[in-house]
Amino acid sequence: MAPGWNMALDEALLLHGPDQVTLRFYTWSPDTLSLGYFQKLVDVPPAHRFLSGDSSGPVPGAVCRRLTGGGAIHHARELTFSITAPLGHPLYKGPVEGSYKRVHAALSAALRAVGIHAEERGARTLASEREATGMCFHKSASVDLVWDGKKGVGSAQRRKADRVLHHGSIKLGTTALEGEIATLGANITAEELVPHCLEAMQAAFGMRAVPGEPSETELAHIAERASFFTSPAFVGRR
Amino acid sequence: MRPDDRKYTKSHEWIKFDGDTALIGITDFAVEELCNGNEGDLVYCDLPDADRVLEPGETFGEIESVKAVSDLNSPLPGTVIENNPLIEDHLDILSTDPWNKGWLIRIKPSAKTGSNLMTREEYEAFIAAEAH
Repeated sequence: MAPGWNMALDEALLLHGPDQVTLRFYTWSPDTLSLGYFQKLVDVPPAHRFLSGDSSGPVPGAVCRRLTGGGAIHHARELTFSITAPLGHPLYKGPVEGSYKRVHAALSAALRAVGIHAEERGARTLASEREATGMCFHKSASVDLVWDGKKGVGSAQRRKADRVLHHGSIKLGTTALEGEIATLGANITAEELVPHCLEAMQAAFGMRAVPGEPSETELAHIAERASFFTSPAFVGRR
Repeated sequence: MRPDDRKYTKSHEWIKFDGDTALIGITDFAVEELCNGNEGDLVYCDLPDADRVLEPGETFGEIESVKAVSDLNSPLPGTVIENNPLIEDHLDILSTDPWNKGWLIRIKPSAKTGSNLMTREEYEAFIAAEAH
């Protein structure tokens, strides 16, 4: 879906979502560069160039800003997921780091099913690290999932007083903006990866997924807020 | 040891009265949840300027750690008088001294108490229950 639509639905689920955990899988059209909530535009050179009207270089088709923190992500050739839940849910209770470990353990199981041996980075130095690009995949934390010595899953959270939004990006291929990162390769599509993620998350979280569509309230929120996430006022706020 | 001279909220802010004004900050527990003992994991904090009017529970700012952005919520209604100028360049003081040097904003409260406020003992019982 369009970047503003994707971000507005995640915001609706963060603000007005149900007491149960909500898991979304999605892709982006057009390919989008999303900035982290606190990132300065000048610290993400591709976004800065694109928005200032300089069309040189591998600029994406759209730019938005997320509610979640962290670095910029080029949402192309990837499966994106969001998890929204009450902060008191066992998945998110306690320190932030522990919640990443629980989600990443489930993702590791899903990736194993498609032949990828992903592990937490730990103390390793990665071949995907780059300075001053502002890109999420060029920096890493110890809990990030890596394979082939490179970062393969980008993730970030937004925590309100009583709810959490968790964003994740699993790379199927790379782009000129992200370069040398870990990917699943050309043998699987985003649609084919979803059932593996769903099965692993259900097993790890002890839950049974029930398919759903956005509610009337959520659709109304999207109609009101979708344009905000790609607006110059929000994208250029810092 | 958490101080007895202030009140606490379930979203881990504290408020300490100081004459007609009150200081607001976040607890050691909140800092630990965000950065798990790595004080360098706190990367940014956005605080309101003077004169902003806050409703009880309203989000007055945000703090970013390496892996999460979290809201900062006002324990009581009031008007912001100042924010702590040390915070922007010295986020580490939230880890080293969240109770004194690490205050975030000073407000002129329009109420002296709220049903959401807890004593130190009540807050410690709350976070102990949260851990289970």
